[in-house]
Amino acid sequence: MKKTYSDADLKSELEIVRNLLDKKNLENLETKEELESVVKELAVQITKKEEKVLKLAEVNKDLAHQIEIKEKKTAELEVVIQELEFFSYSVSHDLRSPLRAINGFSRIILEEYGHDFEEELKFYFDEILSNSEKMGELIDSILEFSRIAKHKLSYRSIDTNSTVNSIIRELRNLEPDRDFEIKIKDLPGVSGDKNMIRQAFFNLLQNAFKYTGKKEIAVIEVGSYLEEDNTVFYVRDNGAGFDEQYSNKLFGVFQRLHSSKDFEGTGVGLATVEKIITKHNGRVWAESKVNEGACFYISIPVNVDKE
Amino acid sequence: MANSEIQILLVEDDRSDAILATRALQKHNLANNLVHLEDGAEALDFIFAKGKYADRDPENKPKVIFLDLKMPKVDGLEVLKVLKDNEATKLIPVVMMTSSQEESDIVASLKLGVNSYVVKPIDFEKFSKTIVQLGFYWLVVNKTPNGL
Repeated sequence: MKKTYSDADLKSELEIVRNLLDKKNLENLETKEELESVVKELAVQITKKEEKVLKLAEVNKDLAHQIEIKEKKTAELEVVIQELEFFSYSVSHDLRSPLRAINGFSRIILEEYGHDFEEELKFYFDEILSNSEKMGELIDSILEFSRIAKHKLSYRSIDTNSTVNSIIRELRNLEPDRDFEIKIKDLPGVSGDKNMIRQAFFNLLQNAFKYTGKKEIAVIEVGSYLEEDNTVFYVRDNGAGFDEQYSNKLFGVFQRLHSSKDFEGTGVGLATVEKIITKHNGRVWAESKVNEGACFYISIPVNVDKE
Repeated sequence: MANSEIQILLVEDDRSDAILATRALQKHNLANNLVHLEDGAEALDFIFAKGKYADRDPENKPKVIFLDLKMPKVDGLEVLKVLKDNEATKLIPVVMMTSSQEESDIVASLKLGVNSYVVKPIDFEKFSKTIVQLGFYWLVVNKTPNGL
Protein backbone atom coordinates (compact mmCIF):
# COMPACT_ATOMS: atom_id res chain seq x y z
CA MET A 1 0.00 0.00 0.00
CA LYS A 2 1.19 3.30 -1.04
CA LYS A 3 1.82 5.76 1.71
CA THR A 4 0.80 9.28 1.04
CA TYR A 5 2.26 12.36 2.71
CA SER A 6 0.19 15.20 3.72
CA ASP A 7 1.50 18.77 3.50
CA ALA A 8 1.67 18.89 7.26
CA ASP A 9 3.77 15.79 7.30
CA LEU A 10 6.14 17.20 4.76
CA LYS A 11 6.41 20.43 6.63
CA SER A 12 7.29 18.75 9.89
CA GLU A 13 9.82 16.51 8.10
CA LEU A 14 11.37 19.57 6.53
CA GLU A 15 11.46 21.23 9.93
CA ILE A 16 13.33 18.27 11.34
CA VAL A 17 15.84 18.30 8.49
CA ARG A 18 16.32 22.04 8.87
CA ASN A 19 16.90 21.62 12.58
CA LEU A 20 19.42 18.90 11.86
CA LEU A 21 21.14 21.11 9.33
CA ASP A 22 21.21 24.00 11.75
CA LYS A 23 22.75 21.76 14.37
CA LYS A 24 25.34 20.52 11.89
CA ASN A 25 26.10 24.07 10.87
CA LEU A 26 26.57 24.98 14.47
CA GLU A 27 28.82 22.01 14.95
CA ASN A 28 30.78 22.94 11.87
CA LEU A 29 31.15 26.39 13.15
CA GLU A 30 32.44 25.08 16.45
CA THR A 31 34.85 22.78 14.66
CA LYS A 32 35.97 25.68 12.56
CA GLU A 33 36.56 27.76 15.64
CA GLU A 34 38.41 24.91 17.25
CA LEU A 35 40.47 24.47 14.12
CA GLU A 36 41.21 28.14 14.05
CA SER A 37 42.37 28.11 17.63
CA VAL A 38 44.54 25.03 16.93
CA VAL A 39 46.01 26.80 13.95
CA LYS A 40 46.66 29.83 16.10
CA GLU A 41 48.28 27.68 18.75
CA LEU A 42 50.39 26.00 16.07
CA ALA A 43 51.41 29.38 14.77
CA VAL A 44 52.46 30.43 18.26
CA GLN A 45 54.42 27.24 18.68
CA ILE A 46 56.05 27.66 15.31
CA THR A 47 57.02 31.18 16.25
CA LYS A 48 58.46 29.86 19.49
CA LYS A 49 60.37 27.16 17.60
CA GLU A 50 61.65 29.74 15.20
CA GLU A 51 62.73 31.89 18.09
CA LYS A 52 64.51 28.88 19.58
CA VAL A 53 66.17 28.15 16.26
CA LEU A 54 67.25 31.73 16.08
CA LYS A 55 68.58 31.57 19.61
CA LEU A 56 70.40 28.34 18.83
CA ALA A 57 71.86 29.91 15.74
CA GLU A 58 73.02 32.78 17.89
CA VAL A 59 74.56 30.40 20.44
CA ASN A 60 76.20 28.55 17.59
CA LYS A 61 77.51 31.76 16.22
CA ASP A 62 78.81 32.70 19.64
CA LEU A 63 80.48 29.31 19.99
CA ALA A 64 82.00 29.64 16.56
CA HIS A 65 83.22 33.06 17.55
CA GLN A 66 84.69 31.70 20.76
CA ILE A 67 86.37 28.90 18.86
CA GLU A 68 87.69 31.49 16.47
CA ILE A 69 89.08 33.50 19.38
CA LYS A 70 90.62 30.34 20.87
CA GLU A 71 92.18 29.48 17.54
CA LYS A 72 93.49 32.98 17.19
CA LYS A 73 94.95 32.81 20.68
CA THR A 74 96.50 29.42 19.96
CA ALA A 75 98.04 30.83 16.81
CA GLU A 76 99.30 33.83 18.76
CA LEU A 77 100.76 31.53 21.40
CA GLU A 78 102.47 29.50 18.72
CA VAL A 79 104.01 32.68 17.38
CA VAL A 80 105.18 33.61 20.88
CA ILE A 81 106.68 30.15 21.38
CA GLN A 82 108.41 30.43 18.04
CA GLU A 83 109.72 33.85 18.97
CA LEU A 84 110.97 32.50 22.28
CA GLU A 85 112.73 29.66 20.51
CA PHE A 86 114.23 32.13 18.11
CA PHE A 87 115.23 34.26 21.06
CA SER A 88 116.99 31.38 22.77
CA TYR A 89 118.69 30.57 19.47
CA SER A 90 119.83 34.18 19.23
CA VAL A 91 121.05 34.08 22.79
CA SER A 92 122.99 30.94 22.08
CA HIS A 93 124.59 32.31 18.96
CA ASP A 94 124.74 36.06 19.06
CA LEU A 95 125.62 36.58 22.70
CA ARG A 96 128.33 33.95 22.78
CA SER A 97 130.43 35.41 19.97
CA PRO A 98 131.10 38.83 21.52
CA LEU A 99 131.75 37.14 24.82
CA ARG A 100 134.34 34.90 23.20
CA ALA A 101 135.94 38.01 21.71
CA ILE A 102 136.14 39.72 25.13
CA ASN A 103 137.53 36.59 26.71
CA GLY A 104 139.88 35.84 23.81
CA PHE A 105 141.43 39.26 23.36
CA SER A 106 141.86 39.75 27.10
CA ARG A 107 143.67 36.45 27.24
CA ILE A 108 145.85 37.37 24.27
CA ILE A 109 146.81 40.67 25.91
CA LEU A 110 147.70 38.82 29.10
CA GLU A 111 149.67 36.20 27.18
CA GLU A 112 151.59 38.63 25.00
CA TYR A 113 152.11 41.57 27.35
CA GLY A 114 151.16 40.25 30.77
CA HIS A 115 154.76 39.75 31.86
CA ASP A 116 155.26 43.52 31.90
CA PHE A 117 152.03 44.26 33.74
CA GLU A 118 151.83 45.56 37.26
CA GLU A 119 149.95 43.36 39.69
CA GLU A 120 146.95 45.66 39.66
CA LEU A 121 146.59 45.56 35.88
CA LYS A 122 146.91 41.79 35.93
CA PHE A 123 144.20 41.64 38.58
CA TYR A 124 141.84 43.69 36.43
CA PHE A 125 142.40 41.47 33.44
CA ASP A 126 141.76 38.40 35.55
CA GLU A 127 138.48 39.99 36.62
CA ILE A 128 137.50 40.52 32.97
CA LEU A 129 138.34 36.90 32.24
CA SER A 130 136.53 35.38 35.18
CA ASN A 131 133.45 37.52 34.52
CA SER A 132 133.28 36.60 30.86
CA GLU A 133 133.59 32.97 31.88
CA LYS A 134 130.83 33.40 34.42
CA MET A 135 128.58 34.98 31.83
CA GLY A 136 129.35 32.11 29.48
CA GLU A 137 128.25 29.66 32.15
CA LEU A 138 125.07 31.65 32.73
CA ILE A 139 124.23 31.65 29.04
CA ASP A 140 124.95 27.94 28.76
CA SER A 141 122.81 27.06 31.76
CA ILE A 142 119.87 29.18 30.73
CA LEU A 143 120.05 27.54 27.30
CA GLU A 144 120.18 24.13 28.92
CA PHE A 145 117.13 25.09 30.96
CA SER A 146 115.14 26.20 27.92
CA ARG A 147 116.25 23.13 26.02
CA ILE A 148 114.81 20.94 28.77
CA ALA A 149 111.62 23.02 28.87
CA LYS A 150 110.85 22.27 25.23
CA HIS A 151 112.23 18.74 25.17
CA LYS A 152 109.65 15.99 24.55
CA LEU A 153 109.91 13.11 27.00
CA SER A 154 110.64 9.65 25.70
CA TYR A 155 109.63 7.19 28.41
CA ARG A 156 111.53 4.04 29.19
CA SER A 157 112.40 2.11 32.32
CA ILE A 158 115.41 3.47 34.14
CA ASP A 159 117.81 1.56 36.38
CA THR A 160 118.03 4.20 39.11
CA ASN A 161 120.76 2.36 41.02
CA SER A 162 123.23 2.37 38.16
CA THR A 163 122.29 5.93 37.23
CA VAL A 164 122.99 7.23 40.74
CA ASN A 165 126.15 5.15 41.14
CA SER A 166 127.63 6.37 37.87
CA ILE A 167 126.90 10.00 38.77
CA ILE A 168 128.57 9.57 42.14
CA ARG A 169 131.64 7.99 40.54
CA GLU A 170 131.79 10.92 38.11
CA LEU A 171 131.50 13.52 40.87
CA ARG A 172 134.02 11.78 43.16
CA ASN A 173 136.55 11.68 40.35
CA LEU A 174 136.32 15.46 40.13
CA GLU A 175 137.30 15.81 43.80
CA PRO A 176 139.54 12.84 44.60
CA ASP A 177 141.01 14.49 47.70
CA ARG A 178 137.79 14.97 49.62
CA ASP A 179 136.47 12.62 52.29
CA PHE A 180 133.04 11.25 51.60
CA GLU A 181 130.71 8.96 53.42
CA ILE A 182 128.17 8.00 50.80
CA LYS A 183 125.23 5.71 51.49
CA ILE A 184 123.11 4.56 48.62
CA LYS A 185 120.10 2.46 49.54
CA ASP A 186 118.66 -0.02 47.06
CA LEU A 187 116.61 2.17 44.72
CA PRO A 188 113.57 1.01 42.73
CA GLY A 189 113.53 1.44 38.98
CA VAL A 190 111.42 4.21 37.56
CA SER A 191 109.75 5.01 34.27
CA GLY A 192 110.80 8.27 32.65
CA ASP A 193 113.05 10.05 30.18
CA LYS A 194 116.45 8.54 30.82
CA ASN A 195 118.62 11.55 30.03
CA MET A 196 116.39 13.96 31.89
CA ILE A 197 116.02 11.84 35.01
CA ARG A 198 119.79 11.41 35.02
CA GLN A 199 120.14 15.18 34.75
CA ALA A 200 117.80 15.67 37.72
CA PHE A 201 119.77 13.23 39.90
CA PHE A 202 123.01 14.75 38.65
CA ASN A 203 121.99 18.27 39.68
CA LEU A 204 120.81 17.12 43.10
CA LEU A 205 123.98 15.13 43.77
CA GLN A 206 126.18 17.88 42.39
CA ASN A 207 124.55 20.24 44.88
CA ALA A 208 125.09 17.75 47.70
CA PHE A 209 128.77 17.55 46.77
CA LYS A 210 129.03 21.32 46.46
CA TYR A 211 127.30 22.35 49.66
CA THR A 212 129.19 19.81 51.76
CA GLY A 213 132.44 21.31 50.49
CA LYS A 214 133.20 22.98 53.81
CA LYS A 215 132.56 19.91 55.98
CA GLU A 216 135.40 17.70 57.05
CA ILE A 217 133.56 14.59 55.99
CA ALA A 218 130.73 14.95 53.52
CA VAL A 219 127.88 12.62 54.40
CA ILE A 220 125.52 12.02 51.49
CA GLU A 221 122.63 9.60 51.48
CA VAL A 222 120.39 8.58 48.61
CA GLY A 223 117.23 6.62 49.36
CA SER A 224 113.61 6.14 48.41
CA TYR A 225 110.17 5.21 49.69
CA LEU A 226 106.73 4.62 48.27
CA GLU A 227 104.00 7.18 48.89
CA GLU A 228 100.62 6.34 47.38
CA ASP A 229 101.24 6.02 43.64
CA ASN A 230 104.58 7.76 43.71
CA THR A 231 108.15 6.71 44.22
CA VAL A 232 109.86 9.34 46.31
CA PHE A 233 113.64 9.61 46.02
CA TYR A 234 115.66 11.73 48.38
CA VAL A 235 119.20 13.07 48.49
CA ARG A 236 120.31 14.05 51.98
CA ASP A 237 123.54 15.78 52.92
CA ASN A 238 125.21 17.28 55.98
CA GLY A 239 126.21 20.45 54.14
CA ALA A 240 125.51 24.14 54.52
CA GLY A 241 121.76 23.73 54.12
CA PHE A 242 119.46 26.67 53.57
CA ASP A 243 117.09 28.85 55.52
CA GLU A 244 113.62 27.32 55.09
CA GLN A 245 112.16 30.80 55.28
CA TYR A 246 113.32 31.24 51.68
CA SER A 247 112.41 27.79 50.42
CA ASN A 248 109.92 29.30 47.94
CA LYS A 249 112.91 30.69 46.06
CA LEU A 250 114.76 27.40 46.07
CA PHE A 251 113.53 26.13 42.70
CA GLY A 252 113.29 29.48 40.87
CA VAL A 253 115.43 30.22 37.85
CA PHE A 254 118.47 32.35 38.70
CA GLN A 255 117.47 32.29 42.37
CA ARG A 256 120.22 31.52 44.82
CA LEU A 257 120.22 31.20 48.60
CA HIS A 258 124.01 31.37 48.90
CA SER A 259 126.42 34.00 47.63
CA SER A 260 128.89 33.09 44.89
CA LYS A 261 131.59 33.96 47.38
CA ASP A 262 130.54 31.01 49.55
CA PHE A 263 129.38 28.61 46.87
CA GLU A 264 129.71 29.05 43.10
CA GLY A 265 126.60 28.60 41.04
CA THR A 266 124.27 30.02 38.41
CA GLY A 267 120.90 29.38 40.05
CA VAL A 268 119.64 27.10 37.33
CA GLY A 269 120.38 23.62 38.75
CA LEU A 270 117.33 23.19 40.99
CA ALA A 271 115.06 25.03 38.55
CA THR A 272 116.09 22.43 36.00
CA VAL A 273 115.34 19.60 38.46
CA GLU A 274 111.88 21.01 39.09
CA LYS A 275 111.20 21.44 35.37
CA ILE A 276 112.22 17.84 34.69
CA ILE A 277 110.20 16.34 37.52
CA THR A 278 107.11 18.47 36.78
CA LYS A 279 107.26 17.25 33.19
CA HIS A 280 107.10 13.74 34.61
CA ASN A 281 103.97 14.74 36.59
CA GLY A 282 105.99 14.54 39.78
CA ARG A 283 106.83 16.95 42.57
CA VAL A 284 109.96 18.36 44.21
CA TRP A 285 110.45 19.71 47.73
CA ALA A 286 113.14 20.12 50.28
CA GLU A 287 113.80 20.55 53.96
CA SER A 288 116.82 21.87 55.74
CA LYS A 289 118.41 23.42 58.77
CA VAL A 290 121.15 25.95 58.26
CA ASN A 291 124.58 24.38 58.68
CA GLU A 292 123.09 20.98 59.45
CA GLY A 293 122.37 19.84 55.94
CA ALA A 294 119.54 19.58 53.47
CA CYS A 295 117.29 16.90 52.08
CA PHE A 296 115.83 17.15 48.59
CA TYR A 297 112.89 15.01 47.52
CA ILE A 298 111.60 14.14 44.08
CA SER A 299 108.46 12.11 43.57
CA ILE A 300 107.76 10.30 40.33
CA PRO A 301 104.46 8.52 39.55
CA VAL A 302 104.81 4.74 39.52
CA ASN A 303 102.28 4.12 36.78
CA VAL A 304 102.88 6.66 34.13
CA ASP A 305 100.46 7.55 31.40
CA LYS A 306 102.85 7.57 28.52
CA GLU A 307 102.35 10.63 26.41
CA MET B 1 149.43 32.70 -2.10
CA ALA B 2 147.77 32.43 -5.51
CA ASN B 3 149.93 29.53 -6.62
CA SER B 4 150.61 27.82 -3.37
CA GLU B 5 148.44 25.02 -2.14
CA ILE B 6 145.61 26.22 0.03
CA GLN B 7 145.51 24.38 3.31
CA ILE B 8 142.66 25.89 5.23
CA LEU B 9 139.69 27.85 3.95
CA LEU B 10 138.12 29.69 6.85
CA VAL B 11 134.64 31.01 6.11
CA GLU B 12 133.64 33.18 9.04
CA ASP B 13 131.64 36.42 9.12
CA ASP B 14 132.53 37.30 12.70
CA ARG B 15 135.75 39.28 12.49
CA SER B 16 136.80 38.56 16.06
CA ASP B 17 136.20 34.83 15.75
CA ALA B 18 138.24 34.84 12.53
CA ILE B 19 141.15 36.67 14.18
CA LEU B 20 141.06 34.37 17.19
CA ALA B 21 140.87 31.22 15.07
CA THR B 22 143.67 32.38 12.77
CA ARG B 23 145.87 33.28 15.71
CA ALA B 24 145.34 29.89 17.35
CA LEU B 25 146.26 28.13 14.12
CA GLN B 26 149.27 30.41 13.53
CA LYS B 27 150.64 29.57 16.97
CA HIS B 28 150.84 25.96 15.84
CA ASN B 29 152.08 26.66 12.32
CA LEU B 30 148.82 25.53 10.85
CA ALA B 31 147.89 28.84 9.21
CA ASN B 32 150.61 29.14 6.58
CA ASN B 33 148.25 28.88 3.68
CA LEU B 34 145.01 30.01 5.21
CA VAL B 35 142.40 31.91 3.26
CA HIS B 36 139.75 33.76 5.17
CA LEU B 37 136.43 34.69 3.52
CA GLU B 38 133.53 36.44 5.14
CA ASP B 39 130.41 34.85 3.73
CA GLY B 40 129.04 31.78 2.02
CA ALA B 41 128.50 33.39 -1.37
CA GLU B 42 132.12 34.45 -1.54
CA ALA B 43 133.21 31.02 -0.38
CA LEU B 44 131.32 29.32 -3.21
CA ASP B 45 132.77 31.79 -5.76
CA PHE B 46 136.21 31.03 -4.39
CA ILE B 47 135.90 27.25 -4.39
CA PHE B 48 134.38 27.06 -7.88
CA ALA B 49 136.57 29.90 -9.26
CA LYS B 50 133.72 32.17 -10.24
CA GLY B 51 133.03 35.90 -10.02
CA LYS B 52 136.01 37.80 -8.68
CA TYR B 53 137.86 34.50 -8.24
CA ALA B 54 137.47 33.51 -11.93
CA ASP B 55 141.25 33.58 -12.38
CA ARG B 56 141.83 31.06 -9.65
CA ASP B 57 142.61 27.44 -10.42
CA PRO B 58 139.59 25.48 -9.16
CA GLU B 59 141.78 22.39 -8.90
CA ASN B 60 143.61 24.10 -6.06
CA LYS B 61 141.20 22.84 -3.43
CA PRO B 62 141.54 23.53 0.26
CA LYS B 63 142.61 20.60 2.45
CA VAL B 64 139.88 21.48 4.87
CA ILE B 65 137.09 24.05 5.09
CA PHE B 66 136.19 25.62 8.43
CA LEU B 67 132.68 26.84 7.87
CA ASP B 68 130.68 29.09 10.17
CA LEU B 69 127.03 28.09 10.25
CA LYS B 70 125.32 31.45 10.56
CA MET B 71 126.42 33.91 7.91
CA PRO B 72 124.76 36.58 5.80
CA LYS B 73 123.63 35.87 2.21
CA VAL B 74 124.51 32.17 1.89
CA ASP B 75 124.76 30.40 5.25
CA GLY B 76 126.95 27.47 6.23
CA LEU B 77 124.30 24.82 5.64
CA GLU B 78 123.70 26.06 2.10
CA VAL B 79 127.43 26.07 1.33
CA LEU B 80 127.73 22.58 2.79
CA LYS B 81 124.87 21.33 0.63
CA VAL B 82 126.40 22.70 -2.57
CA LEU B 83 129.82 21.23 -1.74
CA LYS B 84 128.53 17.79 -0.81
CA ASP B 85 126.21 17.65 -3.85
CA ASN B 86 129.08 18.29 -6.25
CA GLU B 87 131.38 15.45 -7.33
CA ALA B 88 134.31 17.86 -7.60
CA THR B 89 134.04 19.07 -4.03
CA LYS B 90 132.24 16.39 -2.03
CA LEU B 91 135.49 14.89 -0.70
CA ILE B 92 136.83 18.11 0.80
CA PRO B 93 136.48 17.76 4.58
CA VAL B 94 134.13 20.37 6.01
CA VAL B 95 134.16 21.34 9.67
CA MET B 96 130.99 23.15 10.64
CA MET B 97 131.65 25.69 13.37
CA THR B 98 128.89 27.36 15.25
CA SER B 99 128.08 29.12 18.47
CA SER B 100 124.71 27.44 18.66
CA GLN B 101 123.97 24.16 20.29
CA GLU B 102 120.73 23.78 18.39
CA GLU B 103 120.07 20.13 17.77
CA SER B 104 118.27 20.88 14.52
CA ASP B 105 121.43 22.52 13.14
CA ILE B 106 123.56 19.54 14.15
CA VAL B 107 121.13 17.09 12.59
CA ALA B 108 120.85 19.14 9.40
CA SER B 109 124.65 19.32 9.08
CA LEU B 110 125.08 15.61 9.67
CA LYS B 111 122.42 14.81 7.09
CA LEU B 112 124.24 16.91 4.54
CA GLY B 113 127.44 14.97 5.21
CA VAL B 114 129.49 17.30 7.39
CA ASN B 115 132.84 15.83 8.51
CA SER B 116 132.95 17.48 11.93
CA TYR B 117 130.58 19.64 13.89
CA VAL B 118 131.97 21.94 16.54
CA VAL B 119 130.25 24.24 18.99
CA LYS B 120 132.68 27.11 19.49
CA PRO B 121 133.45 27.38 23.20
CA ILE B 122 133.18 30.79 24.82
CA ASP B 123 136.40 30.27 26.72
CA PHE B 124 139.25 31.29 24.42
CA GLU B 125 141.64 28.63 25.66
CA LYS B 126 139.15 25.90 24.89
CA PHE B 127 138.32 27.60 21.60
CA SER B 128 142.01 27.68 20.56
CA LYS B 129 142.51 24.09 21.60
CA THR B 130 139.48 22.96 19.60
CA ILE B 131 140.50 24.85 16.47
CA VAL B 132 144.10 23.61 16.67
CA GLN B 133 143.03 20.02 17.25
CA LEU B 134 140.74 20.19 14.23
CA GLY B 135 143.39 21.82 12.05
CA PHE B 136 145.91 19.23 13.12
CA TYR B 137 143.54 16.36 12.56
CA TRP B 138 142.36 17.35 9.09
CA LEU B 139 145.71 18.61 7.82
CA VAL B 140 148.15 16.19 9.37
CA VAL B 141 146.47 13.06 10.68
CA ASN B 142 143.70 12.50 8.20
CA LYS B 143 144.61 10.76 4.94
CA THR B 144 142.83 12.10 1.87
CA PRO B 145 142.68 10.38 -1.53
CA ASN B 146 145.27 11.58 -4.04
CA GLY B 147 144.13 14.28 -6.36
CA LEU B 148 141.70 15.82 -3.94
